[in-house]
Order: sequence, then C-alpha cells, then structure tokens
Amino acid sequence: MLRELISGFRSLSIIGMCKNAGKTTVLNRMIYELRSAGVRLALTSIGRDGESTDVVTGTSKPGIYIYEGTIIATASDMLAMCDITKEVLSSTGFSTPLGEVAVLRARSDGLVQLAGPSMTAQLAALTEIFESFGADMTIIDGAISRKTLCAPAVSEATVLCTGASYSRDINAVVNDTAFAAELLTLPLQTLWSREEIDSPGAPKLRFKMEDGTTRALPDSLRLADALRMREYAGVKGIFVLGAVTAALLKPVLQGGADIRNVEIAALDGSKLLFDRGIREKLAIRGARLAVAHPVRVAAITVNPVSAYGFDMDGDELLSRMKELTGLPVVNVRADGEDMII
Amino acid sequence: MMDFSQQTNIGFRYVTDALETDSPLGRARVTSMRFFEPGEEAELLTELSNVKLAADTLEEYSEEYSRVERILMTLKDIRRSLESLREATLSEVELFELKRFCLASVYLSEAFAKLLLKAPIKGISITPETAALDVLDPEKTRTATFFIPDSASKELLSSRKDKRAIEEKLRRAQSGGERTKLMAERSAIAAREDAEERRLRSLICEGLRPYIDDMLSCINNIASLDFTLSRAKLAAKYGACMPCLTDNEIDMAEMINPRVRDSLYSRGRAFTPVSISTPAGATVITGANMGGKSVALKTLALNALLVKAGMLPFAKRARLPLFSEIFIVSEDMEDVDRGLSSFGAEIVQFNETLAGAESASGICMILLDEFARGTNPEEGAMIVRAVTRKLNASRHICALTTHYDGVAQFASAHYEVAGLRDMDMAEVAREIASSGTEGGADIIASHMNYGLYPATGSESCPRDARNICALLSLDPSILEDIR
Repeated sequence: MLRELISGFRSLSIIGMCKNAGKTTVLNRMIYELRSAGVRLALTSIGRDGESTDVVTGTSKPGIYIYEGTIIATASDMLAMCDITKEVLSSTGFSTPLGEVAVLRARSDGLVQLAGPSMTAQLAALTEIFESFGADMTIIDGAISRKTLCAPAVSEATVLCTGASYSRDINAVVNDTAFAAELLTLPLQTLWSREEIDSPGAPKLRFKMEDGTTRALPDSLRLADALRMREYAGVKGIFVLGAVTAALLKPVLQGGADIRNVEIAALDGSKLLFDRGIREKLAIRGARLAVAHPVRVAAITVNPVSAYGFDMDGDELLSRMKELTGLPVVNVRADGEDMII
Repeated sequence: MMDFSQQTNIGFRYVTDALETDSPLGRARVTSMRFFEPGEEAELLTELSNVKLAADTLEEYSEEYSRVERILMTLKDIRRSLESLREATLSEVELFELKRFCLASVYLSEAFAKLLLKAPIKGISITPETAALDVLDPEKTRTATFFIPDSASKELLSSRKDKRAIEEKLRRAQSGGERTKLMAERSAIAAREDAEERRLRSLICEGLRPYIDDMLSCINNIASLDFTLSRAKLAAKYGACMPCLTDNEIDMAEMINPRVRDSLYSRGRAFTPVSISTPAGATVITGANMGGKSVALKTLALNALLVKAGMLPFAKRARLPLFSEIFIVSEDMEDVDRGLSSFGAEIVQFNETLAGAESASGICMILLDEFARGTNPEEGAMIVRAVTRKLNASRHICALTTHYDGVAQFASAHYEVAGLRDMDMAEVAREIASSGTEGGADIIASHMNYGLYPATGSESCPRDARNICALLSLDPSILEDIR
C-alpha cells in the first residue's frame, strides 16, 4: 500500500527516472487509495502529462482517473479531453503553450489530462489556490526530463518512479535510481544563511572561507584553477547557483586541488548533473555534497514491465532496490489489481 | 506632437509609468492614453475635476475608496472573450470569467454608489450586469464558480445520472476486464453529456449576445474609474492643482517635475519649484550654467502636456490654454540618426516646429532650449535674437533659454535663474576644499538657487561660469587668463 507512505504530506511530487516508469500507474493508485482515506485531493502536473498515447514513444499510456470532489489544475486546451463533469473554480493567469491554466472541481468521476504550469513560483501559488478551495493534499505530476526535478522544490515529499524501461540491465536500474535518490536526499548545507542563498544577483559560484568571509569566483578563473591558488587555500565551502556539472568538477578532481572537508552545495538535488563516478571520486577526496533544499523521498516505485519488451523479475528488482537505498520500495505491478484504466 | 523619446526626456513617461492602476482594464487605458484637443475643454474639465475630487477625498473616505479598489483588483480583461462571443460559443473557462466579471460589476456598482454619496464623481456610471449574470446563473446562486446545473435540461440530467450509475459500478468493480467494459460504456455517456453541455453553452452564449455592448460599455466605465483613481493617487502623492483654462496666456506657480524631484531626492537634495507667467509671444530665460534653465523648461513642457493628457498639473496654481501642440527643440533631444550636425538638426527641427505651429488650429507651446548654442557666439546671438523677434510676434506661447546677450529685449517677458547670485563664494570654497575636488560639482549644486525669477534691471546674462571654474579648481594659469 502506498497510502501509509504518503499520507500526512501537504504536497507530494511524482518524478520518473524515464518514460514508462509507471508514473501514471502510481498516480492512479495514490488517487484510488487516498479516496478511501477521505483525503480531499488536488492534482496538477509540470507541463503536459496524462495523454493516452505517449507523445514521445508512441506506447499506450494509462489515463488519470479521478473521483468526484477532486480539484485539478490544467491548461484550458486540455479541458475538452477531460470527461469529468466540470465546475470552473478559477482562472489563474498562468499561461502555457496549451492555454491558460484553469482550476476545476470534478463534479463526477472521470478521466483527466493534466497540463499545469512549469514555473516553480506558479506551482507554489497553485498549491495555495488548491488549499483555498479546501484541498488537503496536492500531488504534482512531474513530466520526464531533468526539469521534472524542480517539482521536489515545491513539494514536501517526492515519490521516485523507476523500472525496466530505464535500462535492460537491472544493475543500471538499481544503481542509477539509488544514485538519483541519494542526490535528492542530500543533507542540508551548513555554511550559508537563508539571505545569502536567496540574495538576488548573487554570483554563480561563491566560496565560504575559513574565516567566515564570502568571495565570488572571478570570471577569469576556472574553479579548478582557483582551488589550486594560495589565495583560495582557506576554502571551506562552495555554493553553486545553477547546475553543478561534470564539466565543472572533472578538472577539480584531475587538478589535484585539496578539497578535503570542503562542502559543495547547490540549491537542490536537481541541480547536480554528474554521474556516480564523480560522486565517488568526490567522496574519496573528502569533499561533501549538500543542498539548500533537501527533499524527502517518501517511496521508490518499481515497474518490472518494460515498454520495450524486456521485463525483469519484480521481486529481485524490489529487494535489491530496498537493500541499496534503505527506502520504502513498492512494486507497482504487484499487490492487487492494476488501477490502470 | 512630442514623440516618445521627447515625452521620456521631459519626464512625462516617468509620470505615466508611476500611475498605479488596479485592473488590467485601467492599465490598458493608460497605455492607450489620448490627448485632448482644443474644443474639448468642457470634457477635459469634467475629467480633471473628477481627478481633483478623488485626490482631495482619498484620505477622508479611504474606506469607500479601498472597497472599490479591492474589487477592481479582481478584474480580468475579458474584452477578447466578449468580441469572440459575437460569433462563437465560449468555453467553460471563458464563461466562468464572464460570470466573474458580471458578479464583480454587481459588487462594484454597490461600492461605487456608496462612494458617490461621499465623492460625487461625474460622468462615470457602473451598471450591474444583472441581465447577463442571470443568463450565466439562472438559478441565481451567485456563486463565484461556473457550473452548468443538472436542471439545465432533461438530457443533461439523464446523462449525468447514467454516468454516475456507471461510476458507482466502476468503484466497486473487481476485475480489470469488468472495468474495461464499464469504462467503454462510461465514455459513451460522457460523450452524450459533453454534447449536451456544448449545446447548452451555445444557448447561454446566444442569451448573452444582446448584452455584449452593455458589458463593453461597463468595461469602459470601469477603465475610466480605475484611470481616474490612479491619477488621483499620483496627484495626492506629488501635490497637484485644478488648472484654469485660459485663451492664450500661462501663469504657473511652483510647478514640479516628479522625475527630477525623485532623482534629486534620492541624492538627498530638494527640487526647487518653478514659477512662470507669460503672455502670448516670447519669454526668455537666462541664467548661470548648472542653474536649472533646462529643467525649468522641461517642467513647463511636462505640466502643459499632463493637462493635455487629462492629468492634473503638479503645481500650486495653473492657468494655461489647452494647447494644440507642444513643441520642444533641444539639442539633447535631437535625432542623431538623421545624420545632421547638432546645429543642422536643430534648425531642421525648428523649421518643422514653425510649420506645425503655423498649421495648428489652436494655441501651441514652443520651447527652445539653448537654441543655436552649437555655433559661434556672434552669429548664434544674432540668430537667437531674430528667432525671438519672430516668436514674439506669434499668437503662440514660446519660451527660450539662452546664454546670449541682448536677446531679452525682443521678448515680452524675461526670467532668470538666480544661480550663484546670492552665494557666499568663500564659504563654498571652504566646503569644497574640505571634501576634495570630486564632490565639487555636487557642493555647488547644493548652493545653487534653482528658482526662476522675473529678471531685474541688467540685460546681460550673469557671469557665473568663471566662478564655477574657480570653485572646481580649473588650472590657475588658465583662470588668471580668463580675467
């Protein structure tokens, strides 16, 4: 049961490791389970989701089936594809390529297509609107791609969906998912104040020195070069606004700079764009990773059935994932009937 | 008429940008602002006295005003939906927005009626769009959401009932196969419901069509109200007066220019208000460098243009005609793209101004800032004298700033900026010495008297330039040579 893992959160996001990870199946199951718990649910997505055929791969996709009383936010062009009886509650003024986002209450059960806003601030505002109409819990369906990961920043917890569609190799599925979960749940950074992090116009890359002072990385210097200079010998921490990429870190690792006990921090786990190898090398060299907005991973769901025909052993996938992450793991194809319509 | 960059230069755009409207309808009115033409005096005075009334009563009746403003803030611009309603059937979201607008018009008309009891604003009437609202909300629930009720038609009721029955079965369905079958059935009924809703929506739209023009006129009145309130708030902020329209003379007391004022204020300095009265013909303004002659001219242009745009002038007293056109010829506004030298461009611009003023039906305001300053002083002075003679004979109101001697004798009025006339040179020199030369210009500015005074006696321009050079530590050998 997913319900015990996700109840109690004001807002929850669902993110997928790949297409066909079973994200919509998970969403449908949550809706189904939360209905019997009497939770007044509100739903939206980052960008478009919920179409019956996957636009990218052409495989058939489940629709999102909601129950009477659920509140949804979706772009106005999507309304014709929602077969619930609709009550329009609000027009938000958030525009998307599919029209302005409207907020509706379902006056019957039915299928919906979600296409919500994609800006973090708008998603946060939408959660407020939902609550003003009496929602107990907001679920944000993240589309696939890196930007989907901005969903955790506006939700209290996240459910990470993965499965056989990610890779033919079960090791890759397990290891990469565990790594994504690890990045999302990195600890809170320890060196920077709220004001320093949120200050507008802050430099892209800042150092916190041993004596507590802050310095910006000059445009003329690469991070790797700066860290080798005497001037920057007392660096305690680095804060990167924007992405922390492999291209940024590789020269540091190769350059032999002393990064023992240096805290490398980003805004949230979605800004860390490097692979496990780099993560391990950083650990060996004694650097710590941290984020300004840590995210709680409420559960990992696995879908052992691949859209491309390479199915996996569900039990093995489940137990290995559990073992490696220490997080609750649910097989979306296992217990009970599929909620797929 | 002044182009955009000229409007920006005199501080007019700064004022319009500072107008705080509450709704997109008011904002649209600001962006499509119109200028009043001679002949429309009565209409202009009604608008201006509304703005004045609101500005004077904003504080006293703040409760009534803020109730109106709170409703204005909820409004969206639905004009596009109303236009498409003429031909097409609107979506449920568009109908929702229409209903929200009609509801808001009901609340707004009540709030506005209460305000009118206190502040009798004329010429704006907010009618509640109840007839249109009844079409959108036949059961008169007046809820702020849009929903077509089951009772709207028999077919709607029956399709929704059938749909619900299947949904109940679906909730209890045990097997995937059963569910798939039920879903197929459900989707057929949902299509029936959808078709019926669409039919009902088109009926609603048909019912709304007779009220489109009423609603557009309501929007127009709301925009006028919002625009009026925004002008009143700005007038209250900077201090403004009700102007008196004259035939062909101006008498302006203590005008300010918000852009210059705010910029001085942010540097800890005050703006010296500008007063000027002139009959038709030419007025000459002379005075020291750095003395604020150009600012005086821009402030005059700004306030005349504000009145033309239906805004109160920022002044203590304002008597002026409703100008046909306001021209300002200035080197810092010239169009460099035309590839003329600054002097050439100025002459071309002045020609166009003269031609424009000639063909104008009413009185124009013509302002020349340091005309012909780019040429040699001897010829420059001759040009400006001739131009002054020409302008002084015209029916328009013209003002020129100049450095040249012997110009004022050809004008009907002569003003000068006091400049450094009353300044204690030794005191300023000490101040500059103690702060280092970099702050010199600022210190001089803080001692400069920017006031505009009717010129007394001496015909020639004041000789402050050398004093300023001395204070700013120009090379002593040069300074000695100037004497």
